Amino acid sequence: MSASHQIEARLRETVEKLLREKKVSLFLGFEKASLPFRTTPLFLTKTQEVERLAWNPFCTANLSVYLPRLFQAPADARAAKAAPPPPTVGVALKGCDARSVVALLQERQLPRENLVLLGIACPGMVDRRKAEKALGEHEALGAGEDGRGNIRVVVDDGTEITLRREDVVADACLECRSPAPAIHDILLGTPVEGKKTETARLRTAEFESRPLEARWAGFQEVVARCIRCNACRQACPMCYCKTCIFDQTRPRWIGAGTNISDVAIYHLVRAFHLAGRCTECGACERACPMGIDVRLLGRKLSAEVEDLYGYRPGEAIEATPVLSSFAMDDPQDFVTEP
Amino acid sequence: MQSEARPEKGWEPRILAFLCNWCSYAGADLAGVSRIQYPPNLRIIRVPCSGRINPFFLLRGLQNGADGVLVSGCHPGDCHYISGNLAARRKFALVQELLKYAGIEPERVQFTWVSASEGGRFAAIVEKVVEQIQKLGPNKKLVKSYER
Amino acid sequence: MTEKLISHTNLDRLLARLGERGRVYAPARDEAGEVALGEWPQNEPLTLEYGNFRQSPKAFFLPQNQTLLYLQEGQWQEPGLPVRETFLFGVRPCDARALLLVDKVFLDGDPNDPYYTRLREKTTVIGLACAQTMPSCFCTSVGGGPGDAAGVDVLAVALETGLLLRAGNAKGEDLLSSVAGLLAEATPAVLQAAEERIRDAEDQLAPVLTADSVRRLREAYDSPLWETAGQKCLGCGTCSFLCPTCYCFDITDEIRGSVGRRVRTWDCCAYAPFTLHGSGHNPRPTPKERWRQRVMHKFRYAVESFAVSFCVGCGRCIRNCPISMDLRTALKELGA
Repeated sequence: MSASHQIEARLRETVEKLLREKKVSLFLGFEKASLPFRTTPLFLTKTQEVERLAWNPFCTANLSVYLPRLFQAPADARAAKAAPPPPTVGVALKGCDARSVVALLQERQLPRENLVLLGIACPGMVDRRKAEKALGEHEALGAGEDGRGNIRVVVDDGTEITLRREDVVADACLECRSPAPAIHDILLGTPVEGKKTETARLRTAEFESRPLEARWAGFQEVVARCIRCNACRQACPMCYCKTCIFDQTRPRWIGAGTNISDVAIYHLVRAFHLAGRCTECGACERACPMGIDVRLLGRKLSAEVEDLYGYRPGEAIEATPVLSSFAMDDPQDFVTEP
Repeated sequence: MQSEARPEKGWEPRILAFLCNWCSYAGADLAGVSRIQYPPNLRIIRVPCSGRINPFFLLRGLQNGADGVLVSGCHPGDCHYISGNLAARRKFALVQELLKYAGIEPERVQFTWVSASEGGRFAAIVEKVVEQIQKLGPNKKLVKSYER
Repeated sequence: MTEKLISHTNLDRLLARLGERGRVYAPARDEAGEVALGEWPQNEPLTLEYGNFRQSPKAFFLPQNQTLLYLQEGQWQEPGLPVRETFLFGVRPCDARALLLVDKVFLDGDPNDPYYTRLREKTTVIGLACAQTMPSCFCTSVGGGPGDAAGVDVLAVALETGLLLRAGNAKGEDLLSSVAGLLAEATPAVLQAAEERIRDAEDQLAPVLTADSVRRLREAYDSPLWETAGQKCLGCGTCSFLCPTCYCFDITDEIRGSVGRRVRTWDCCAYAPFTLHGSGHNPRPTPKERWRQRVMHKFRYAVESFAVSFCVGCGRCIRNCPISMDLRTALKELGA
């Protein structure tokens, strides 16, 4: 039995108990999707449906994206009278997802007392695009994990192909420094060691080592493929603004189309709005239909925030978000002197 | 910004300057009344505090044809609103790094502190910034043309 | 209806000939390593080994970003840019059929959309029948098929010996006669091989909708299933932007002083602000209403308005949804 099968069994047991004992009214987890290499979120409320819950190398989504909406305050006093009390919600969280929950708690978007956090130790999830590419001309019909953590795939001609986990694991997971859920009420699985900071920053360091014009060209390459669908924003748990700045019409900051200047500014500003808030879960790049390196700029800002201010979002609920605070001795090498 | 190239000098940079009302704008004003000469390339926008600066302003400035942007506020510790510039300082540091990383010349977006009494310092900084941007040439990155 | 055979070697020559008359787009690997319609000739070789392109060809007729009017010195002017003759090679039958559906909105009827019409008139679509289907395909359930010629001017079927080219209309006939020198006779054996290819592909597809799905959807309007499925939707827009028949758009003015433009961009009903009124009221306030709208529009309202469902079964929404929503599952659960 593979590691994830064991966790899946314990997950179902645990959630069955939580629902039965009414510790939660809703559990957010994953279930099998209709295509291979994928799972789809499951909003579980019925104890008898607990067998639908799945845990496997394709549980990539960051479920914390659904949490702010579940706890949104009613619009006005009249709505408040009619509104039901906020639910108690259980949610399955990988290391990165748990950091998102902490970051949301830091920003007072969720009531901690209404959450039951089920942390699951994650060895890295499969990037479906990498897996599909690795199959070459074959079409996958079904996929699962074997006893060694590798991915066994049944393809269109009926044969089986094994893909090594490390070849198809997501880029975000290859750079993950926090695989162990930092916050949890229940923990399943044994956490693996996170990557070292240097490893996590390899791509950033490489990009930074290029000359300025090459960096601009690299950035423009990302921008050129963007179709402004906003999938990256919608998939991001930290993008919860009721009206996104890009949806504002008074003033309208940038056009809605694919003008290259507008697209560049979309990515620059979104990266900046997530500075010190992004927990590097990779939901954005997974959601992007064009396969863009959405986190190109964000990776750099996360590193800068850590280097300049010693801050990583999603580590401690009581920590003040980095751009909501300041210190008298904050570095100011950037200041122009005559 | 309307095109204002002065034929006898060739291209001149147009630099958007956000100056905080209490310190930097006053400092610039002091340079003026003291008759300190400094390059006329700035287009000044007065803001209540450097903390008002949204990085979007800087990017929109570049998008609309500015060759550079200068942001100036009170010295840390002297903000009229106590901590506006301290909150801004972190944003500015990150914006600098972000733009540099994305391949925009760091000299095009600069930040400084100028107090109300520092007319000379203001002029000297403007000299420096204009010279740096003059060397870089007109900004082509992030520019959005509204023309046909 | 002319049917000819073209050898694989002559295919490049055919594209080159078309290139003399206009712009040619043909399938090749793009920078991301995926097969896409790119301007021909390209560095990468022509390839016929693909399921379908990531993006649908609708962008050729309804671009993501289109200037409708220019504002110059305070005067509004039409773009008036001449549209070049364009040839699209390798369009899958589902996507070609989708063009006929979008035509119902922008082309048929009076007045039509002049921007769209102009582009459609100047474009020739050469389709490529499917020999293989993907698990996410379901064209036969929505009135299409892997060898369906709806929407193509010429349909190509790739075989061992070359490609069968079958003209679909007068435009297609003209195209084939203009390159007659490159073409050979399509023998009965060739025609049979083509039929078998297409039938094999059809056999791979499982049915999705029931015969009276429209009525069932109408009756299921208040089903709680809309909530259970819809609450997963992120409102990300991927499905609409990649869908070959989604056509909703937004128009904005981008003006600076007395200079500017009126721009049409893609919009998506899954976005929360899509139906946001100026008053602040939103008749589709949660993902549930927006998910229901999407499915209803494709499978019920379109039938009620245009007598045909607007889904062509290309499967892009299923393959690309970041949380793997599958509208086939939703339809099944609703009994449609």
